[in-house]
Amino acid sequence: MSENLEQDFVRRLRENQNIIHKICRLYTSGEDAHKDLFQEITIQLWKAYPKFRGDSKFSTWAYRVALNTAITLYRKSTRSVATTEYDSSRHFIRQEDYNYEEEEQIKLMYEAVYQLNDIEKALVFMYLEDKDYAEISETLGISEVNARVKMNRIKTKLKKILNP
Amino acid sequence: MDELDLLKKDWKRNENSFNQVSDKEIYSMIHKKSSSIVKWILIISILEVLLWTALGMLPLSDEYVEQNYPLFAQVSNLFTYFNYTVILFFIYLFYRNYVAISTTASTKKLMDDIIRTRKTVKYYVWYNLTMIVLMFITGLIMAFICNPHVDEFRAQIQNDNASLAILLLLLLLIVAVFAFLFWLFYRLLYGILLKRLLSNYKELKKIDL
Repeated sequence: MSENLEQDFVRRLRENQNIIHKICRLYTSGEDAHKDLFQEITIQLWKAYPKFRGDSKFSTWAYRVALNTAITLYRKSTRSVATTEYDSSRHFIRQEDYNYEEEEQIKLMYEAVYQLNDIEKALVFMYLEDKDYAEISETLGISEVNARVKMNRIKTKLKKILNP
Repeated sequence: MDELDLLKKDWKRNENSFNQVSDKEIYSMIHKKSSSIVKWILIISILEVLLWTALGMLPLSDEYVEQNYPLFAQVSNLFTYFNYTVILFFIYLFYRNYVAISTTASTKKLMDDIIRTRKTVKYYVWYNLTMIVLMFITGLIMAFICNPHVDEFRAQIQNDNASLAILLLLLLLIVAVFAFLFWLFYRLLYGILLKRLLSNYKELKKIDL
């Protein structure tokens, strides 16, 4: 029975692992830190898995646990900020219509996002993931109005970082 | 905002660009140890319970006291029972807190739970510190009154107020230094553990004002 549970979990996690990778991408820089957080999130998911009843989708549930781990439970071993090289654990998909200017702007955007605090990153993450404000407010435990207000402030903050 | 939407476009485009982790790697990961804050708080609190229980085992009364001062012995026994009841209650609280921390709750709820756990630990520490100081003082008084070995010393000091004052001051100082060191140790320990959590908690609270 417990072996079945383990097999089940491993399969589902493998299928949904991009969720975790994406969170690691916003919260860490460098390959080692990425792997470290990935592992901690996996452990927390596994620990919480017996309580997962399947009344929501595995992916929805995993979002929450993963994000909570990144914000509250995880102890960063090294503090690395601002100076961010692209994570070498990702291989970029080069587009046919490669646009140098756009690429440069995206890079600057990522650097700006790295300067946000953990909570702000969570909001940006959910925004990038097309989550609606209802889900954002539920995940973070704040009101929907406040989530909206905060998101607008983050946009302003990002603008300021980009155009000082 | 144009830039954020541009980022979103790139985000989606690179959605599948991560090096995929294999089943085998996941298996090995879930058998590794977590380094989460809650785990450390729990470990530290268990160690504390053990430490204080060990200290509580130290015999406060001996046969001599029991024979000659039965009231003292009785009070001290009562004290010990009371202490154990309170410690059991704390262990129950620790357990309840640990169960409450489930990662599926909302981020704010989770933080609330972790901070409550820390508060329980704090109260526990203060309770024990008070107990130790009380025990220390009662022990000294008992030694002073009951112990036949200090008869001579007592007689000497009773006639000399200055010596008595110095002695009391010295003892008080020792207790104070001990308590301060202890307090400092906890400040550092939990301060380091919870620094980031507390700053995130404040941030989230600020949003929700």
